[in-house]
Amino acid sequence: MQSFDELLDASVAAHGHLCPGQIVGVRLAMLGCRLIGFEVPCPYHQLKKLIVFIEMDRCTGDAVAHVTGVKLGRRSLKFVDYGIMAATFINLETGRAFRVISTEEARDLAPLYAPQEPDQRSQQLAAYRVMPDSVLFRVQEVEVELSPYDLPGPTRRKVACARCGQVVRDHREVIQDGLALCRPCAGGAYFKAAREIVWDAMNWLPQSQDLTMDSLENDAHLKDRPPRLSLA
Amino acid sequence: MIKTISLEEAVGTQLAHDITEIRPGEFKGPAFRKGHTVCDEDLCRLQRLGKNHLYLIDLEADEIHENEAAALLAGALAGAGIAWENNPREGKINLCAAWDGLLQVDVQALSAFNLVDEVMCATLHNHTLVKQGELVGGTRALPLVMKRVAIQRAAAIASQNGGVVSVKPLQKTRAGLVITGNEVYHGLIQDRFAPTLTGKIEALGSEVAALEFAPDDAEAIARAIRAHLQRGCNLLLLSGGMSVDPDDVTRHGIRLAGATEMHYGAAVLPGAMFLVAYLGKVPLLGVPACALHHRSTALDLVLPRILAGEHIGKSELAFLGHGGLCRDCPECLYPNCSFGKG
Repeated sequence: MQSFDELLDASVAAHGHLCPGQIVGVRLAMLGCRLIGFEVPCPYHQLKKLIVFIEMDRCTGDAVAHVTGVKLGRRSLKFVDYGIMAATFINLETGRAFRVISTEEARDLAPLYAPQEPDQRSQQLAAYRVMPDSVLFRVQEVEVELSPYDLPGPTRRKVACARCGQVVRDHREVIQDGLALCRPCAGGAYFKAAREIVWDAMNWLPQSQDLTMDSLENDAHLKDRPPRLSLA
Repeated sequence: MIKTISLEEAVGTQLAHDITEIRPGEFKGPAFRKGHTVCDEDLCRLQRLGKNHLYLIDLEADEIHENEAAALLAGALAGAGIAWENNPREGKINLCAAWDGLLQVDVQALSAFNLVDEVMCATLHNHTLVKQGELVGGTRALPLVMKRVAIQRAAAIASQNGGVVSVKPLQKTRAGLVITGNEVYHGLIQDRFAPTLTGKIEALGSEVAALEFAPDDAEAIARAIRAHLQRGCNLLLLSGGMSVDPDDVTRHGIRLAGATEMHYGAAVLPGAMFLVAYLGKVPLLGVPACALHHRSTALDLVLPRILAGEHIGKSELAFLGHGGLCRDCPECLYPNCSFGKG
C-alpha cells in the first residue's frame, strides 16, 4: 500500500504536471478501491478482478487510471464520455460497484480550506489535500451490467462487416436490415469522407533507418493537401 | 412517502410535524406538536392557521423524518462545550453553550455542511465570547421527509473535525504588565494603561499578578519581562512604545528578552500596531496606545483567543482584516457589532 504522497508523485510523473485534478483523481481512486476492498496500487491478483469506468477525459481520469493500474488495452479501463467528474469501481469477484462523484461544492469551498493561498489554483491544490472525503466526494452503490464481451481476456467474437469487410471484435458490430456492419458503415462515425491514400516510404520497417521530419514534409503524396481537421 | 389528506379525513390521525402559529409581534411557536391526534375541536383552529390539508407520513426504509434528521445533525454539529436537547420544535434544534468560553466555529466545515442540499445550520460568529446556556447555533433539515443517506453525509461533514461548533473555556492566567514610557516612569504623567488592561484581563476571568514600569530603554524593558517570567506569569502585556518614533523601543526590548516568535502589526483599526510575541510558550501582547482612547481595539479581539489557548501568528493577525474596522460609534456596542466578525 503506498501513501497518498507516493501515489500522487507517481501519477504526476506519468501525467506530466501537478494540477488540482491530479489530487482529486488520486484521492478518488483511493476511495473507490477502498470501497471495493482493494489496495492501491492494485496488486496483480486484484487488478485482474477490477474494472473502472471513467466518465471524463480530464487530468482526474489519468490519475484514476494510474493509481489503480487499469488500462484501456487490458479492458479494465472503460471510458464513457459523460463529461462528469466521476468513476465507478467494480469488484468482479463480489459484483459490488461504487460510483464516486467529485462534488462541485469542493471548488467553492477551496478558498475556505486554504485561505492562506493567494489564487484559485493554489487554493485548490492545497484544499483538495485537506478536505475530508465526505466533502470531496459523493458515493453511490450501483449495479453495472457487464456483458461477457466487455470483460478482460481473449477476443470472444469476430465478425466481418458485411459492407466493407473490416473485422469487428467483441460484439461491437451493428445489425441493420439483418446485416452485421461495423460502426462507421452503420453511420455516425466520428470521421467522415474517408479516402485511402498511399505515402512515401510505405515499406519502412522498425529496422530501417529513421525517417526525418524533412522527409515527411517532402512526401509527394502528403504535400499540398489541405488540412482536414475541422473543429465545430 | 407523504400523502395529503383533507382536514376532515385527518380526524383521528397523528400530526406528522409541528404546526406553527405566528401572531405578529406576540407569538411564534408550535400551535400543535408532532404526534398530536387530530380531533374535531382542532379543525377550526387549524383552518384559522390556513391548514385545509394535512400530511400523512408513511416512511420508506431509506427515509427519515425531519425530527430524527435534526437530532442526527445536531449530534454531529455539536463539539465540546455544546449542549442540545433532543426535542425538536418545528423541526429545529438549538445548540447552546454548555459552559462559559469562546465559541469556536469550524467555518469551512459549516460551509461544506450547508452546501449539502436540504440541511442548514446557522451560528454566531467564530470567536464570540459566550455564557453558559447561551444560544450559539441552530440546525434543521428542510423537508419533512428526506433520504437518510443525505442526512448521514451531512452529519459526516459536520463531524470532520469533531463538530462544527464548540466552546473553549478561557484559561485563568497570571498576567504580568509592563508599562513602558519615560513620561510615566519619571512621573511626568499618570499611567492609565495599568487600570485599563487590568480591567480587561479581570473581565475575562484572569488576574494581574505583577506590574512593572520601565523607561524607554530596551534593556530595562527586557529586564522587566524576565522578572515577570521568573515570578511565574504566564501571559505578558506590554503597553506603549509600539509606534514608529525613535523612543519606541519596546519591540527591541521584547527581542532582547528572548522572544522566540514575534508578529508586529494586526489588520485591525484601531490596533494596527498591535504585537504578538512568544517567549517559549508564554504569549506576550504589545498593546499600542490606541487602547487608552478606544473602548475596543485589536487587544479585545486577540486576548480572548489567547486565553482560550489559541496560538496567534501572522495569519491570524492578517485574517482579522475582514471586519477588523471599528465604526467608532458614538455609543460603543461592541461585541454586538461587526467589529472583529469577519
